[in-house]
Amino acid sequence: MYVTGTSSFMSGLPELAILRLLQDREMYGYEIVQAISDRTRRAVSPGEGVIYPLLHGLEKSGALKSRRKTVGGRSRVYYSLTAKGARRLGLLSDRWSELNGAVEALLAGGALGVR
Amino acid sequence: MEFDDLRERLLLAGIAPRHVRRYLRELREHLDDLTAQQRQTDYRAGYDGAAAAIRARARLGGDDELAAAMLAQKQFRSIAARAPWLVFTVLPPVAAIAIGMIPIGGLILAGKYFGYLGRAASLPPSWFQMLGTNLVLVANLTTMPLAGTLFVAIAARQRLKLVWPLAATLMLLVLVVRGDVLFAAHQKGHLSIGFGLVFLQNWGLLLENWPTALAQYVLTLLPVLWLCRRRMATAA
Repeated sequence: MYVTGTSSFMSGLPELAILRLLQDREMYGYEIVQAISDRTRRAVSPGEGVIYPLLHGLEKSGALKSRRKTVGGRSRVYYSLTAKGARRLGLLSDRWSELNGAVEALLAGGALGVR
Repeated sequence: MEFDDLRERLLLAGIAPRHVRRYLRELREHLDDLTAQQRQTDYRAGYDGAAAAIRARARLGGDDELAAAMLAQKQFRSIAARAPWLVFTVLPPVAAIAIGMIPIGGLILAGKYFGYLGRAASLPPSWFQMLGTNLVLVANLTTMPLAGTLFVAIAARQRLKLVWPLAATLMLLVLVVRGDVLFAAHQKGHLSIGFGLVFLQNWGLLLENWPTALAQYVLTLLPVLWLCRRRMATAA
């Protein structure tokens, strides 16, 4: 299930991050969390385990697919992006770019207002 | 065991057991990775790594946070939690008939295979008559208890309120499932097999074979009584 509401500015951000990371290659949960934390300079760092319900929800909606793979003697669930997930990523990216532009414009407007 | 409280909380909230199982398995795997990483960090910092597991568990998230994340995904709630009235009142008689149809269906197939069913059918030999009579007797004795056990198991596994397996058992007791097999010459051959629901008010039909009916009732009540006892023991 996608987070589509506007009740929180953070809604949809973890989903966007997951989809974007998996666009490059398949990853397992721990790898995804570390990558999100590194790329956002730890600005986005909720409890690490909360990523799994989101991954399972995205898989159920068809945006991701998973397979269990053993690497270096460790069995893990690897997630990868589907065509539907790629379309969803495009949609979310556009929305966030738009929102980002709007916030920047707002901040710029605030500075002018002080003048 | 690790995550026992979280499991109970998710099941009580109606999350389907298979989703809970998968979530906890991935959490355990994640925790193993986190602990290994934390231990390395601790060693590099000059500590002995004894507190690595505690720090890793804290990084994974508290039970409240982990439960809330799963509960936000409404699609992972089980059908029994979303529509218990459907699962525990409509499905029990359907399931009982389906269970009962397995041996009866086998008997019908065997009857067809040996040519004991149909217009030009011959009278079945005594071994087949005995097999049919006993199979139907076993089906009559076990169908309702098996169906009752199935719904009690669903309720127990998903931590549902006791009222639902009680309702399922009540439905089974009201709509008694009963099969009949008759080996006699009639228009369409020499074998007829019937299986279906007998409403409770049809006492005459039940009293015809009261020992079987009584055994059915007692055996059907056993699973739900076991669950009642278990719940009371847990509460105490």
